[in-house]
Formats: sequence, C-alpha cells, structure tokens
Amino acid sequence: MQVEHPDSGAILIAEHDQNVRELQRYFLGKSGFTVEFADDGRAALERARLVRPALIVTEIMIPLIDGLALCRRLRDDPLTRDIPVVVFSFLAAEPRAREAGANAFLRKPLVESTFVATIQGLIAPSAEKKEKQWASQ
Amino acid sequence: MGLAVIADDRTIQEPSEGNERMSSGNAEADHILGGGFPANSINIIMGHPGSGKTIFAEQLIFHNAGADRPILYFTTLSEPLAKVVRYLQGYRFYDENKMGTQVIYEDVGPQLAKDGAAALVPLLKEAIKKLSPKIIVIDSFKAVHDLAATVSERRRMVYEMTALLTAYGTTAFLLGEYTEEDILRYPEFAVADGIVELSRRRLGNRDERYFRIYKLRGSHYLEGAHAFSIADSGLEIYPRLVSPPLPEGYEPVSERISTGVKGLDEMLHGGFWRGTTTLLKGPTGAGKTTIALQFALEGARLGEPSLYMNFQENPTQLIRTIRALGVDLEQAQKQGLDLVYASPVELQIDSIIVDMFRRIQQRGVRRLVIDALGDLAGAATDTQRLHDYLYALVQHFAVSTITSVLNFETTDSAAGGNGSQNPMSFLSDNVLLLSVEGEERTRRTLRVLKTRGSAHDTRVREVEISAAGLCVL
Repeated sequence: MQVEHPDSGAILIAEHDQNVRELQRYFLGKSGFTVEFADDGRAALERARLVRPALIVTEIMIPLIDGLALCRRLRDDPLTRDIPVVVFSFLAAEPRAREAGANAFLRKPLVESTFVATIQGLIAPSAEKKEKQWASQ
Repeated sequence: MGLAVIADDRTIQEPSEGNERMSSGNAEADHILGGGFPANSINIIMGHPGSGKTIFAEQLIFHNAGADRPILYFTTLSEPLAKVVRYLQGYRFYDENKMGTQVIYEDVGPQLAKDGAAALVPLLKEAIKKLSPKIIVIDSFKAVHDLAATVSERRRMVYEMTALLTAYGTTAFLLGEYTEEDILRYPEFAVADGIVELSRRRLGNRDERYFRIYKLRGSHYLEGAHAFSIADSGLEIYPRLVSPPLPEGYEPVSERISTGVKGLDEMLHGGFWRGTTTLLKGPTGAGKTTIALQFALEGARLGEPSLYMNFQENPTQLIRTIRALGVDLEQAQKQGLDLVYASPVELQIDSIIVDMFRRIQQRGVRRLVIDALGDLAGAATDTQRLHDYLYALVQHFAVSTITSVLNFETTDSAAGGNGSQNPMSFLSDNVLLLSVEGEERTRRTLRVLKTRGSAHDTRVREVEISAAGLCVL
C-alpha cells in the first residue's frame, strides 16, 4: 500500500555498517531515491521529526535507541506515525518488527531487487528527483 | 528402506525458501553437504593444483545460472582466463548460451598485479554495484592473499572483503591451492562459513581423489573422506558408506529362503533367514562361485531381483559358467538377474559401493552376491576403512532385508579351521566353509560353521559339482 508523501522526499536510513550504507545509497539512488543516514536511533528519531522523510529504513541493532524501539516511538508520535518504516536487519525478527509497527521487514544481507522493490511498494520516488532523472537522459 | 546412502535418483536438491541452501549442482556433494551450501555464505574450496577445484566451482555456477541475477567468476593470478574457459568447454555442464549473460568471467589479474591485494575489495564493490551477482567465485583467492606484502595487509584485505560480502546478498567461493596447515594460519579460514577440500593420493599406478568437508557453519554434513573421480559431467562423488540407523520397531524377518543348492537348505534347517548375510569361505575351485550363482539364479527364478557383483571372473567366463548350469541367461536376466563385473585391477571401493546401492535402489534387489570380498580388500587402501565399509554394508542389508552371500577366497584348502580369522566372520550371520581335498583335489566338502538364530547340521558334508550345479551328497 503506497502512502502519501510526508514533507521530505528523502529516505532516512538508520544504519551503522558502512558497506550496507554504501550499497543502499547506490541502489536506491539508481532507482531515483534520495537517501539520508542516521548513525543511531536517537539521531534517526530527531531527524524524522524534523524533516518527515518519505520512508524510514532501520536496522534493529543500532546504538542508543534500537530499531524496534525507534519504530514504536515513531508510531506514538503524531508527527511521524504516518511515515512508513522498513526494518532491515540480520536478526530474524519479523513478528517483533510487525508488532512494533513496521510496514515491512527484510532480512539482511542486502539484495538489490528485493530491497528496492519493497521500498518502491511503499513509496514512489519524489517528483523532483524523477524530473531530474528525466532531464539528465 | 534404509538405503539413503546416495541422493535418490541423483536429483539435485533445489534450495527452498526458509531452507536457504545453494545447490552445488552435484547431487552427491549436496547429500554430503546436508542439502547444499548455506546461501549468502563465504566458502573456501581448497586443494592442490589439478585437484578439481575449478571444475567443482564451474559445475556449481552453471547449475545455478539463471535469468534472475548473474554469476561472477573472477580469475586472478593463478591461471589466465583464456585457459580456464578453454578447458571449461569440454564439460557437459558448460552452456555457451549462459556465457557473458548469466555467467560472467572477468580477469582481474592485471589490476591486482598492478595495485596489489588491496585492489580486490574495490573491484568486488564495483562488480556488486554493476551486476548484483548472486554468486561470486574468486579463482584463485590464495594468489590474491599471496600478493599482500605483510600479515596486517592480508588481514585487513580479508576483513574488508568479509564485511562487504556479508553486507551484500551473495554466496562466495574462494578457491585456493591451500594445504591443511594453512587452515590454522590464514585469516580467510576463520571467516569462512564452509571449507571443502579436494585431495589426491597416489596409489600404485592410479590416483585416488577425496572430497572432504572441514567446516560448514549451521549445518550437519557427512564427515570423512568421500572418494571422487573427474568425468566429462564434472565431479563424480561417491559418498562414504555409513551405517544406517535402525528404524523404530526394527525386527529381523522370520522367513526362510531357499539357497538354490540341493541339500543345503536341509543343512540350514530350511534355508537362509531373509535379510541375513552369509560368508562363503573356501579355496579356489571349491565351488564358491557355483553356490553363489545358484543362490542368485534361484532368486531370479522366484521373481526376486538378484544382483551379482563379480570381481573375479570376466563376464564371458561367468556367462559360460551360468550356461554350463543349464540356465537360460536371457530368461534369468528378464526375471531379475543383474550381473555386474568390475575388474579387480580398476576396482575403486567407493565407486563400487555407490554403484551397488544405486542398483539396489533402482531394481529393488532382494538377493545380492559379492564375489569376492578379497578383491574389495585388495582395492582398499585403508584396512580400517574397509572394515567400516563392510560393517555398514551388512547393516544396510539387514535393515533392507536383502539376503546376501559374500564369497571369500582362502589359501587353506582344509575346511577344518574355525574360520574366525576373517573379521567378516563376526559380522556375518552365517559362515559356510568349503574345501577341496585329496591328491587329485576331487573331494569337495561343505561345513556350516555358524548360523545365527538357527540350528544347523554341524557335520562336514561331501558335495559334488555336476551339470546341475553343486549339491550336497
């Protein structure tokens, strides 16, 4: 189910693995998405309130506030409760992710097709980015 | 049936969701691996030059190649790409339609030679972004490892490569000319999820090759050395025979079957128990092959599939012997007689055992003859291994209620010995001793030394071989 864009067209990702970050930025960028990273759960929560991203991707094992707690807090806050959340983790925690309010759960490692298709299923690339893509072709 | 020693019908086990396995493209290897390599794992395929590493990896990649995501094969500084691809085309699994699209070979040797081992991770990252490969093979990874000037450089390279390959969903195979000692020394072995060794041992004029798993995280596997050979279909692996677990509620069958030898059934108080193993001992010319043939032919006559594994007489000799018994061979074969011959010179115990079990499964064999055990012993390089094999073999027969006769040639012509020198005497349910006596070697005798769970005629009985076969007088 696609949801209407909140304020920012970017995808906010709470992830601390540099390799995962690099691949996420590359594969999502290739598909027309803008990506922003947060190093820990607290930074992700603050950033989400501030910019209201189009979607949030979070690992469970991140510092300060873990990914599941982050998910719950996002759902409890009227400012962020409508932002779709994808929990993307090495942990097999799909039921816990759903319980915390995540819209989707993906198990690592990253596979481009599944990862991008899941995000595309929840949001469409921002109109602005799309225009840029068309202009560059 | 308790005969799961080889993968049924050699079918490849497809990885299923949740199971998350990647087939090796080789049914027997998958069986040894407990279903294949764990998906998204890092595996080392090690072995000396010529051990079959590249063939094993190529068989795997061509089996897994499909339209979804490509497979990437990096050649480094071991063998030039042209050479690898030239020999690849000789194998049956090779498919030129997959080359360049589903299977992509890339020679990164020049780049590595120029920039050193540190160039590998950026090359892998670039390839992942460009191709999204589901399998990555690095052949040879040891050659990259050897490019690192210092231990710290080597460790950093292995760490960075592992971090990248763990982040991204791909199954990696690192090939290398490693030795067993390297397992404790090199960092790649610590991070590997699976380690497979292909080795070769010289035995007289021929080589014996072995497939062995050292490590497979999160999975059970068949331990030990499994023999293999290289054919145009790739690796032909013969999983080591292990004893079957006794099924719940297992009970020996209480049914007598005829030996096909006149007078012998009476000596045994009604024939062999079904599912038992009989050791038939005696010197050359005493009548072992004749009795064993009569046993198998009797099975065929009764419509019981009977397998005769012959390592003694060449097929022509054996057929002549059968015809001399007045038997219509073609008719017997139609009724279920299966004659298999393997030259004792070329005998490879593992391949014989796998072939035997395949025939047993395919034909539903009820009677089996091995003529003779001594030939198997001669082919075995390791006595303990042979004994383990024979023990497992007898257990499989018992569980599957296959009645077997195992011939064993002795050098002692007298039947008066106790027959216990052969370890098979302890494993067998029944032991029969044949002898040839007299100056002209014309007096033949038979003695039933042991029958498990039955009384028997304990006397030494004279036997005669005529056109009708061997009979107890």
